Amino acid sequence: MGTRLLGIVALLAVVGASVNALFLVPADVYQGDAQRIMYVHVPSAWLAYLSFGVTALAGIGYLWRRDLRLDAVAVAGAEIGVMFTAFAIWGGMMWGRPVWGVYWQWEDPRLTTTALLLALYLGYLLFRRLTDDPHRRAARAAVVGIVAAVDIPIVHFSVEWWRGLHQGPTIGSPDKVLHPSAPGLFVLALVSMVLAFTLAWAWLMIRRYQLARIEWQIEEHGRLGRLSAARRAARKAAIPPPDGAPEGA
Amino acid sequence: MQDLGFIIAGYGVILGGVALYAGLLLRRLSAARRASLEIRRDAESATAPPPDREA
Repeated sequence: MGTRLLGIVALLAVVGASVNALFLVPADVYQGDAQRIMYVHVPSAWLAYLSFGVTALAGIGYLWRRDLRLDAVAVAGAEIGVMFTAFAIWGGMMWGRPVWGVYWQWEDPRLTTTALLLALYLGYLLFRRLTDDPHRRAARAAVVGIVAAVDIPIVHFSVEWWRGLHQGPTIGSPDKVLHPSAPGLFVLALVSMVLAFTLAWAWLMIRRYQLARIEWQIEEHGRLGRLSAARRAARKAAIPPPDGAPEGA
Repeated sequence: MQDLGFIIAGYGVILGGVALYAGLLLRRLSAARRASLEIRRDAESATAPPPDREA
């Protein structure tokens, strides 16, 4: 019931924040209406960071406690993070073409490290398919998830460490949160969209976690079924039928 | 509104994509729950004591 309510609240929040961002907030003086894409691009990027951060933390937790529920949290974070990273890249491209004049530039460190982040976690999801043993899979995936998370701060600080096309953070640091370089209405629209997207993310995470747990139970049942069938076959092969008994009886 | 095509493409793919993922997730969850229920029923019927033959 709580999750359903969260889903409804998240849906209403995303619709409300989108209407505000698209129709109520004025257009930017320099970038025009294309700047409205920021209101979905920035939350997507934030949720990509959050998802992969959760995957890495859940991976550390799994290696420490060996609890498969933490692995379910990790896979939920990775799958949802991949989706939001792809959306962040897409939103950036749709904004970049009218404002920068190009969809993509490989020389830009923010764009390239974000593409790398997407590739790393796609790899994480593929890597999980290499083994059926849940604990071996969880342990290996945890290591990959933790190593891949090293790219998160690199993506975030790339605009400060290196020069490129991508602009610096508008409200990304504690100082900028208090003194943002954008008008208050823009910041309010962005913050409300970030909150709405985060609610939707929480709902998706809960549902994906539930799915991972049920999939694990089904997988476990299949493995036990195969194991008991193999034992029965081995027992049948080891004990010869009594004299006179028909074969296969 | 300027750059309308880019705005529609940006919002359409992102919001539509999240909605599509949410819908597919609910479908996968419902299929997994059904499969899990069937497995549980099968397991219960396999472990249930045989019916009393004298009755």
